[in-house]
Amino acid sequence: MHLARLRLRDFRNYPRLDAEFAPGFHLLLGDNAQGKTNILEAVYLVATLRSFRGVGSAQMVRSGQKGYFVGSHIVGQGEHETKMYWSLRERNLSLDGMPVRKVTDYLGVLRTVVFCTEDLLLVKGPSRSRRRFLDLLLSQTSPAYLPLLQRYTRALRSRNAILKQPTINPLLLAGFSQELLQAGGEITQLRCELAPKISALARLACRRIASDTEDLQIEYLPSVKKDFTVELAQSAARERTYRTTVIGPHRDDLDLLLNGRSATQYGSEGQKRTLAIAMKVAQADYLTGLHGTPPILLIDDIMGELDLKRRTGLFPLLQRSRLARSQVFMTATEENWPEELGRDVQRWLVKEGGLCPLPATDS
Amino acid sequence: MSALPAAIVALIASLRSLPGIGPRSAERIALHLVQADPHAVEQLARHLTEARARVQLCATCGALTETSPCGTCSDPRRDATFLCVVERPTDTLVIEKPGTFRGRYHVLGGKLSPLNGIEPEDLRIRELEERLTREPVKEILIALGTDVEGDATSFYLARRLARPGLKISRIAHGLPAGAGLDFADELTLSRALEGRRDMKQDE
Repeated sequence: MHLARLRLRDFRNYPRLDAEFAPGFHLLLGDNAQGKTNILEAVYLVATLRSFRGVGSAQMVRSGQKGYFVGSHIVGQGEHETKMYWSLRERNLSLDGMPVRKVTDYLGVLRTVVFCTEDLLLVKGPSRSRRRFLDLLLSQTSPAYLPLLQRYTRALRSRNAILKQPTINPLLLAGFSQELLQAGGEITQLRCELAPKISALARLACRRIASDTEDLQIEYLPSVKKDFTVELAQSAARERTYRTTVIGPHRDDLDLLLNGRSATQYGSEGQKRTLAIAMKVAQADYLTGLHGTPPILLIDDIMGELDLKRRTGLFPLLQRSRLARSQVFMTATEENWPEELGRDVQRWLVKEGGLCPLPATDS
Repeated sequence: MSALPAAIVALIASLRSLPGIGPRSAERIALHLVQADPHAVEQLARHLTEARARVQLCATCGALTETSPCGTCSDPRRDATFLCVVERPTDTLVIEKPGTFRGRYHVLGGKLSPLNGIEPEDLRIRELEERLTREPVKEILIALGTDVEGDATSFYLARRLARPGLKISRIAHGLPAGAGLDFADELTLSRALEGRRDMKQDE
């Protein structure tokens, strides 16, 4: 699968961009604040309908403009044309000229995995970022997951609203508990099935990137240990004290163990970085295994932070994307671009919201 | 461009507050009305005020009606032992369409929604309990939607209304009739699997 064409109108700092991309490596070069990451953000937006920078659509509109447009032409098993327009008053999303009614019908047209500095939050950040990792992967691979998660969140928020009232109506609470238990049980089940698969893939990736001596293990720590119904009932006193639901998938976490010890607590900075990348590689590997084709890799400026050895560990992943005629988009500044990638790279110069191809280097 | 007369601007503003009418439609309707035959406009105004004055909620079931109790509640041919609970007054019209339901109705006037501050006291549940003491109801059919609030309200009602000799059922959900499996989304399918039924061998 590859992104053959990208069209931007008033997106971030691009008034207008029409670019065509062949399968393979694309290196986006340029000084800081020229719009390199914005290109990756647009590709990610086409795939997931959100920004990987964790911002809302309003912030992606070019300053002073009403709305943005992002269009793409995707070549994979069949060809697809996507169009997306967003403004405060109007949002349109179409696939092959037809308006998209349900997001679940759209997701999966383009699959991407992004590598960026924020990935470090997977290791250093709060448990929320690790749950998001699971949620994102499950919503990309299991169509029932997203509606399930939305139901769960709604039931959870309703329940918490009831728990905050001065007097709690037990029967009313029970009505929403029922919903929480049903959706929550299925979510725990799906996360529980996914975790060992990700752990195995991340372990291999970690060995490639770091060294054979570092053994990574990812363990799923469900908030519900055995029986959600029983445990929710047991938490009744605590949830009345804290006035919020204290047990359920919204309290899940992943334990990241390096050689049997918690990497979050004991890992060095370098190890944490390796671990975050290993998790992302595992994500890409998992998607590849499931769909048969590798996702498009979006690599935002992390090459510069890695030493040569760790970069080398990433090459098999990049190589596979090349062989499968997928794509890799990578941003770098002129000083830190990974020269060892070789010649077979399309280099682009990003400057003040414009993109122009650079001739291949002879070196 | 000359400004619109104030009367037209006010009319457009009123029209815009109606459901399904955007700024452009509101303007078109307003400009049409001010140029139309005065009698036709008077008639429209009369119909509006009359309809609003005459239509009320049935004191018994809560459905839209001109007479209270409404036609369904006072119709002796309707099965008084079978009561269908719906969310909004217009839902009774939906259930009436197939013409197969012969019981009576009770409109809740909403569904439990802690996030929007709607609690049991805001719904017509007390009225429903009073009806159960007055009327010979044997079965209650809960016909609410299947979103989180609809499901939670159904659960709440089933528990609160439970009493000896009263059957409480919930409207089935699953595959649309006459359609193939491929048209159902994943959540609907998984619910349809859960709600599977025995096929009796001797039928």
